[in-house]
Amino acid sequence: MSAVEETIKDIVVKIVHCDREVLTPTATFKDMKADSLDMVQVLVALEDEFGIEIPDEDAQKFQSFGDFVAYMEARVAEKKK
Amino acid sequence: MLKGKVALVTGSSRGIGRAIALKLAEQGANVVVNFFRRRQAAEQTAKDIESLGVTAKVIKANVGDPEKVNEMFDIIASSFGQLDILINNAASGLPRSALDLDTKGWDWTMDINAKAFLLCTQRAVKLMEGRDGKIVTVSSLGSHLVLPGYTAIGVSKAALEALTRYLAIELAAKGICVNAVAASLVATEAGMLYARIAKEQLGESFAWQTTPAGRLVTPEDIANVVAFLCSEEAFMIRGQIIIVDGGTSLVPFGLMSKGGGCWTSNE
Repeated sequence: MSAVEETIKDIVVKIVHCDREVLTPTATFKDMKADSLDMVQVLVALEDEFGIEIPDEDAQKFQSFGDFVAYMEARVAEKKK
Repeated sequence: MLKGKVALVTGSSRGIGRAIALKLAEQGANVVVNFFRRRQAAEQTAKDIESLGVTAKVIKANVGDPEKVNEMFDIIASSFGQLDILINNAASGLPRSALDLDTKGWDWTMDINAKAFLLCTQRAVKLMEGRDGKIVTVSSLGSHLVLPGYTAIGVSKAALEALTRYLAIELAAKGICVNAVAASLVATEAGMLYARIAKEQLGESFAWQTTPAGRLVTPEDIANVVAFLCSEEAFMIRGQIIIVDGGTSLVPFGLMSKGGGCWTSNE
Protein backbone atom coordinates (compact mmCIF):
# COMPACT_ATOMS: atom_id res chain seq x y z
CA MET A 1 0.00 0.00 0.00
CA SER A 2 1.39 3.40 -0.97
CA ALA A 3 2.03 6.23 1.46
CA VAL A 4 -0.54 8.28 -0.45
CA GLU A 5 -3.19 5.60 0.12
CA GLU A 6 -2.32 5.46 3.82
CA THR A 7 -2.72 9.22 4.16
CA ILE A 8 -6.05 9.15 2.31
CA LYS A 9 -7.32 6.44 4.64
CA ASP A 10 -6.20 8.39 7.72
CA ILE A 11 -8.07 11.45 6.53
CA VAL A 12 -11.23 9.62 5.43
CA VAL A 13 -11.47 7.72 8.74
CA LYS A 14 -10.99 10.93 10.70
CA ILE A 15 -13.59 12.95 8.79
CA VAL A 16 -16.20 10.34 7.82
CA HIS A 17 -15.84 8.28 11.03
CA CYS A 18 -16.04 5.00 9.08
CA ASP A 19 -14.06 1.81 9.79
CA ARG A 20 -10.71 1.59 8.04
CA GLU A 21 -11.66 -1.91 6.80
CA VAL A 22 -14.48 -0.43 4.73
CA LEU A 23 -11.93 1.34 2.53
CA THR A 24 -11.29 -1.39 -0.03
CA PRO A 25 -10.57 -0.59 -3.71
CA THR A 26 -14.13 -1.48 -4.72
CA ALA A 27 -15.82 0.45 -1.90
CA THR A 28 -18.24 3.16 -3.01
CA PHE A 29 -18.85 6.41 -1.17
CA LYS A 30 -22.19 4.96 -0.18
CA ASP A 31 -20.37 2.08 1.57
CA MET A 32 -18.47 4.67 3.62
CA LYS A 33 -21.81 6.33 4.54
CA ALA A 34 -20.26 9.66 3.60
CA ASP A 35 -22.56 12.62 2.91
CA SER A 36 -21.74 15.45 0.52
CA LEU A 37 -20.23 17.58 3.28
CA ASP A 38 -17.96 14.70 4.37
CA MET A 39 -16.75 14.36 0.80
CA VAL A 40 -15.95 18.05 0.40
CA GLN A 41 -14.10 18.09 3.71
CA VAL A 42 -12.06 15.04 2.70
CA LEU A 43 -11.11 16.69 -0.59
CA VAL A 44 -10.16 19.94 1.13
CA ALA A 45 -8.05 18.11 3.74
CA LEU A 46 -6.25 16.19 1.00
CA GLU A 47 -5.65 19.34 -1.01
CA ASP A 48 -3.98 20.94 2.02
CA GLU A 49 -2.03 17.78 2.84
CA PHE A 50 -0.60 17.25 -0.65
CA GLY A 51 -0.58 20.86 -1.89
CA ILE A 52 -2.61 20.01 -4.99
CA GLU A 53 -6.03 21.01 -6.27
CA ILE A 54 -8.82 18.47 -6.73
CA PRO A 55 -11.60 20.28 -8.59
CA ASP A 56 -15.16 18.96 -8.39
CA GLU A 57 -15.02 18.41 -12.13
CA ASP A 58 -12.50 15.61 -11.39
CA ALA A 59 -14.03 14.42 -8.11
CA GLN A 60 -17.39 13.75 -9.77
CA LYS A 61 -15.79 11.04 -11.89
CA PHE A 62 -14.69 8.77 -9.04
CA GLN A 63 -16.81 5.60 -8.93
CA SER A 64 -14.95 3.82 -6.13
CA PHE A 65 -12.35 4.32 -3.43
CA GLY A 66 -9.85 2.57 -5.74
CA ASP A 67 -10.48 5.16 -8.51
CA PHE A 68 -9.95 7.91 -5.98
CA VAL A 69 -6.64 6.47 -4.72
CA ALA A 70 -5.37 5.96 -8.28
CA TYR A 71 -6.25 9.55 -9.16
CA MET A 72 -4.50 10.89 -6.06
CA GLU A 73 -1.37 8.81 -6.63
CA ALA A 74 -1.12 10.09 -10.19
CA ARG A 75 -1.64 13.70 -9.12
CA VAL A 76 0.92 13.49 -6.30
CA ALA A 77 3.47 11.83 -8.62
CA GLU A 78 2.84 14.54 -11.22
CA LYS A 79 3.52 17.22 -8.60
CA LYS A 80 6.86 15.66 -7.56
CA LYS A 81 8.18 15.84 -11.15
CA MET B 1 -20.08 53.58 -14.59
CA LEU B 2 -17.76 51.33 -12.61
CA LYS B 3 -14.74 51.96 -14.82
CA GLY B 4 -11.44 51.53 -12.95
CA LYS B 5 -13.12 49.99 -9.93
CA VAL B 6 -12.21 46.60 -8.51
CA ALA B 7 -14.90 44.17 -7.35
CA LEU B 8 -14.59 40.89 -5.48
CA VAL B 9 -17.51 38.50 -5.96
CA THR B 10 -17.22 35.47 -3.68
CA GLY B 11 -18.54 32.24 -5.14
CA SER B 12 -18.68 33.56 -8.70
CA SER B 13 -17.82 30.48 -10.75
CA ARG B 14 -21.50 29.73 -11.28
CA GLY B 15 -25.08 30.78 -10.69
CA ILE B 16 -25.93 34.08 -9.01
CA GLY B 17 -22.28 34.99 -8.33
CA ARG B 18 -21.34 34.53 -11.97
CA ALA B 19 -24.26 36.72 -13.12
CA ILE B 20 -23.22 39.45 -10.64
CA ALA B 21 -19.57 39.25 -11.74
CA LEU B 22 -20.58 39.63 -15.40
CA LYS B 23 -22.96 42.50 -14.65
CA LEU B 24 -20.31 44.46 -12.77
CA ALA B 25 -17.77 43.75 -15.55
CA GLU B 26 -20.30 44.98 -18.11
CA GLN B 27 -20.34 48.26 -16.21
CA GLY B 28 -16.56 48.51 -16.38
CA ALA B 29 -15.34 46.97 -13.12
CA ASN B 30 -12.34 44.67 -12.94
CA VAL B 31 -13.48 41.53 -11.16
CA VAL B 32 -11.92 39.03 -8.79
CA VAL B 33 -13.64 35.70 -9.38
CA ASN B 34 -13.48 33.67 -6.18
CA PHE B 35 -14.33 29.98 -6.26
CA PHE B 36 -13.97 26.99 -3.97
CA ARG B 37 -14.64 23.77 -5.90
CA ARG B 38 -15.22 24.52 -9.59
CA ARG B 39 -11.98 25.64 -11.23
CA GLN B 40 -13.13 25.16 -14.84
CA ALA B 41 -16.35 27.08 -14.30
CA ALA B 42 -14.41 29.92 -12.60
CA GLU B 43 -11.93 30.10 -15.49
CA GLN B 44 -14.88 30.30 -17.90
CA THR B 45 -16.44 33.16 -15.92
CA ALA B 46 -13.08 34.97 -15.98
CA LYS B 47 -12.82 34.45 -19.73
CA ASP B 48 -16.32 35.84 -20.26
CA ILE B 49 -15.46 38.85 -18.06
CA GLU B 50 -12.28 39.57 -20.02
CA SER B 51 -14.17 39.46 -23.29
CA LEU B 52 -15.97 42.57 -21.97
CA GLY B 53 -12.64 44.43 -21.99
CA VAL B 54 -11.86 44.42 -18.25
CA THR B 55 -9.48 42.43 -16.08
CA ALA B 56 -10.50 39.26 -14.27
CA LYS B 57 -8.52 37.40 -11.63
CA VAL B 58 -9.42 33.92 -10.42
CA ILE B 59 -8.68 33.12 -6.76
CA LYS B 60 -9.49 29.80 -5.12
CA ALA B 61 -10.49 30.09 -1.46
CA ASN B 62 -12.90 28.45 0.95
CA VAL B 63 -14.33 31.63 2.49
CA GLY B 64 -15.34 29.64 5.57
CA ASP B 65 -11.64 29.26 6.41
CA PRO B 66 -10.13 32.44 7.95
CA GLU B 67 -6.64 31.54 6.73
CA LYS B 68 -7.85 31.15 3.14
CA VAL B 69 -9.75 34.45 3.33
CA ASN B 70 -6.55 36.19 4.41
CA GLU B 71 -4.58 34.59 1.59
CA MET B 72 -7.21 35.73 -0.91
CA PHE B 73 -7.09 39.32 0.32
CA ASP B 74 -3.28 39.30 0.31
CA ILE B 75 -3.44 38.41 -3.41
CA ILE B 76 -6.04 41.14 -4.08
CA ALA B 77 -3.90 43.69 -2.21
CA SER B 78 -0.75 42.82 -4.13
CA SER B 79 -2.50 42.53 -7.53
CA PHE B 80 -4.79 45.57 -7.37
CA GLY B 81 -3.88 47.51 -4.21
CA GLN B 82 -7.53 48.54 -3.86
CA LEU B 83 -11.06 47.22 -3.58
CA ASP B 84 -14.22 49.19 -4.34
CA ILE B 85 -16.92 46.54 -4.25
CA LEU B 86 -17.33 43.42 -2.13
CA ILE B 87 -20.14 41.04 -3.06
CA ASN B 88 -20.54 38.42 -0.37
CA ASN B 89 -22.30 35.74 -2.40
CA ALA B 90 -20.65 32.38 -1.64
CA ALA B 91 -22.94 30.02 0.25
CA SER B 92 -23.18 26.39 1.25
CA GLY B 93 -25.21 24.17 3.51
CA LEU B 94 -26.59 20.72 4.06
CA PRO B 95 -30.34 20.33 3.62
CA ARG B 96 -31.30 19.00 7.08
CA SER B 97 -34.09 19.49 9.57
CA ALA B 98 -33.15 20.96 12.96
CA LEU B 99 -33.15 17.64 14.82
CA ASP B 100 -30.91 16.00 12.20
CA LEU B 101 -28.27 18.71 12.29
CA ASP B 102 -24.86 17.92 13.77
CA THR B 103 -22.24 20.45 14.84
CA LYS B 104 -20.18 19.76 11.73
CA GLY B 105 -23.02 20.71 9.38
CA TRP B 106 -23.96 23.69 11.53
CA ASP B 107 -20.42 25.07 11.73
CA TRP B 108 -19.78 24.51 8.03
CA THR B 109 -22.93 26.42 7.08
CA MET B 110 -22.44 29.26 9.56
CA ASP B 111 -18.75 29.64 8.65
CA ILE B 112 -19.31 29.93 4.89
CA ASN B 113 -22.60 31.82 4.93
CA ALA B 114 -22.25 34.16 7.91
CA LYS B 115 -18.73 34.29 9.37
CA ALA B 116 -17.18 34.77 5.93
CA PHE B 117 -19.17 37.98 5.51
CA LEU B 118 -17.56 39.42 8.65
CA LEU B 119 -14.05 38.22 7.76
CA CYS B 120 -14.22 39.43 4.16
CA THR B 121 -15.62 42.78 5.24
CA GLN B 122 -12.87 43.30 7.83
CA ARG B 123 -10.20 42.83 5.17
CA ALA B 124 -12.15 44.65 2.43
CA VAL B 125 -12.61 47.81 4.49
CA LYS B 126 -8.83 48.35 4.63
CA LEU B 127 -8.64 48.21 0.82
CA MET B 128 -11.67 50.53 0.51
CA GLU B 129 -10.07 53.38 2.50
CA GLY B 130 -11.19 56.67 0.89
CA ARG B 131 -12.84 54.90 -2.06
CA ASP B 132 -16.64 55.10 -1.42
CA GLY B 133 -16.86 51.34 -1.03
CA LYS B 134 -19.98 49.27 -1.67
CA ILE B 135 -20.71 46.01 0.08
CA VAL B 136 -23.64 43.81 -0.90
CA THR B 137 -24.43 40.41 0.52
CA VAL B 138 -26.75 37.81 -0.95
CA SER B 139 -29.40 36.43 1.39
CA SER B 140 -32.57 34.42 0.90
CA LEU B 141 -36.20 34.30 2.01
CA GLY B 142 -35.19 31.51 4.41
CA SER B 143 -33.82 34.15 6.80
CA HIS B 144 -37.38 34.83 7.96
CA LEU B 145 -39.58 32.18 6.32
CA VAL B 146 -39.45 28.53 7.40
CA LEU B 147 -38.43 26.39 4.43
CA PRO B 148 -38.13 22.59 4.46
CA GLY B 149 -34.65 21.29 5.35
CA TYR B 150 -33.32 24.84 5.47
CA THR B 151 -32.69 25.27 9.22
CA ALA B 152 -28.95 25.93 9.30
CA ILE B 153 -28.95 27.89 6.06
CA GLY B 154 -31.94 29.99 7.16
CA VAL B 155 -30.33 30.78 10.51
CA SER B 156 -27.06 31.69 8.79
CA LYS B 157 -28.94 34.03 6.45
CA ALA B 158 -30.68 35.65 9.45
CA ALA B 159 -27.24 36.26 10.97
CA LEU B 160 -26.07 37.66 7.65
CA GLU B 161 -28.96 40.10 7.50
CA ALA B 162 -28.45 41.26 11.10
CA LEU B 163 -24.76 41.75 10.34
CA THR B 164 -25.72 43.78 7.26
CA ARG B 165 -27.52 46.27 9.52
CA TYR B 166 -24.70 46.50 12.05
CA LEU B 167 -22.05 46.92 9.37
CA ALA B 168 -24.14 49.51 7.51
CA ILE B 169 -24.08 51.78 10.56
CA GLU B 170 -20.51 51.08 11.64
CA LEU B 171 -19.11 51.60 8.14
CA ALA B 172 -21.29 54.60 7.25
CA ALA B 173 -18.66 56.89 8.76
CA LYS B 174 -16.12 55.46 6.32
CA GLY B 175 -18.36 56.23 3.34
CA ILE B 176 -19.12 52.57 2.74
CA CYS B 177 -22.67 51.45 1.83
CA VAL B 178 -23.71 48.00 3.06
CA ASN B 179 -26.91 46.26 1.92
CA ALA B 180 -28.33 42.83 1.14
CA VAL B 181 -30.41 41.29 -1.60
CA ALA B 182 -32.67 38.40 -0.57
CA ALA B 183 -33.85 36.05 -3.27
CA SER B 184 -36.52 33.39 -3.47
CA LEU B 185 -35.66 30.19 -5.33
CA VAL B 186 -33.39 30.99 -8.26
CA ALA B 187 -32.97 28.62 -11.19
CA THR B 188 -29.30 27.75 -10.59
CA GLU B 189 -27.63 24.38 -10.05
CA ALA B 190 -27.81 24.84 -6.27
CA GLY B 191 -31.37 26.21 -6.44
CA MET B 192 -32.64 23.24 -8.43
CA LEU B 193 -30.92 20.79 -6.08
CA TYR B 194 -32.75 22.42 -3.18
CA ALA B 195 -36.04 22.39 -5.09
CA ARG B 196 -35.71 18.65 -5.65
CA ILE B 197 -35.10 17.99 -1.94
CA ALA B 198 -37.97 20.26 -0.86
CA LYS B 199 -40.30 18.59 -3.34
CA GLU B 200 -39.42 15.17 -1.90
CA GLN B 201 -40.53 16.42 1.51
CA LEU B 202 -43.59 18.43 0.54
CA GLY B 203 -44.79 16.61 -2.56
CA GLU B 204 -46.83 18.48 -5.12
CA SER B 205 -47.74 21.22 -2.64
CA PHE B 206 -44.25 22.64 -3.11
CA ALA B 207 -44.99 24.95 -5.99
CA TRP B 208 -41.67 26.34 -7.04
CA GLN B 209 -42.02 26.58 -10.81
CA THR B 210 -43.17 30.17 -10.82
CA THR B 211 -43.81 33.34 -8.79
CA PRO B 212 -46.76 35.77 -8.80
CA ALA B 213 -44.71 37.71 -11.37
CA GLY B 214 -45.15 34.80 -13.76
CA ARG B 215 -41.70 33.20 -13.80
CA LEU B 216 -38.85 32.12 -11.56
CA VAL B 217 -36.25 34.64 -10.39
CA THR B 218 -33.11 34.46 -12.54
CA PRO B 219 -29.50 35.12 -11.52
CA GLU B 220 -29.67 38.22 -13.74
CA ASP B 221 -32.62 39.59 -11.73
CA ILE B 222 -30.43 39.45 -8.62
CA ALA B 223 -27.41 40.88 -10.47
CA ASN B 224 -29.43 43.89 -11.65
CA VAL B 225 -30.39 44.84 -8.09
CA VAL B 226 -26.87 44.22 -6.80
CA ALA B 227 -25.50 46.49 -9.52
CA PHE B 228 -27.98 49.21 -8.52
CA LEU B 229 -26.87 48.93 -4.89
CA CYS B 230 -23.28 49.39 -6.11
CA SER B 231 -24.20 52.61 -7.92
CA GLU B 232 -24.17 56.17 -6.54
CA GLU B 233 -27.95 56.33 -7.07
CA ALA B 234 -28.32 53.94 -4.13
CA PHE B 235 -26.14 56.08 -1.82
CA MET B 236 -28.87 56.68 0.76
CA ILE B 237 -29.95 53.03 1.01
CA ARG B 238 -28.18 51.62 4.09
CA GLY B 239 -28.47 48.30 5.85
CA GLN B 240 -31.55 47.23 3.89
CA ILE B 241 -32.59 43.78 2.76
CA ILE B 242 -34.01 44.17 -0.75
CA ILE B 243 -36.29 41.23 -1.55
CA VAL B 244 -36.22 40.00 -5.16
CA ASP B 245 -38.82 37.25 -5.35
CA GLY B 246 -41.50 38.19 -7.86
CA GLY B 247 -43.89 38.60 -4.92
CA THR B 248 -43.44 35.05 -3.61
CA SER B 249 -43.03 36.00 0.06
CA LEU B 250 -46.38 37.82 0.07
CA VAL B 251 -48.36 34.75 -0.97
CA PRO B 252 -49.14 31.64 1.12
CA PHE B 253 -47.28 28.63 -0.28
CA GLY B 254 -50.28 26.51 -1.26
CA LEU B 255 -51.66 29.24 -3.46
CA MET B 256 -48.46 29.97 -5.28
CA SER B 257 -48.79 27.42 -8.03
CA LYS B 258 -51.44 29.59 -9.63
CA GLY B 259 -49.11 32.57 -9.51
CA GLY B 260 -51.07 35.76 -8.85
CA GLY B 261 -54.01 34.33 -10.77
CA CYS B 262 -56.42 33.90 -7.89
CA TRP B 263 -56.17 37.58 -6.96
CA THR B 264 -56.55 39.08 -10.40
CA SER B 265 -59.88 40.07 -11.86
CA ASN B 266 -61.48 37.86 -14.48
CA GLU B 267 -61.83 40.69 -16.93
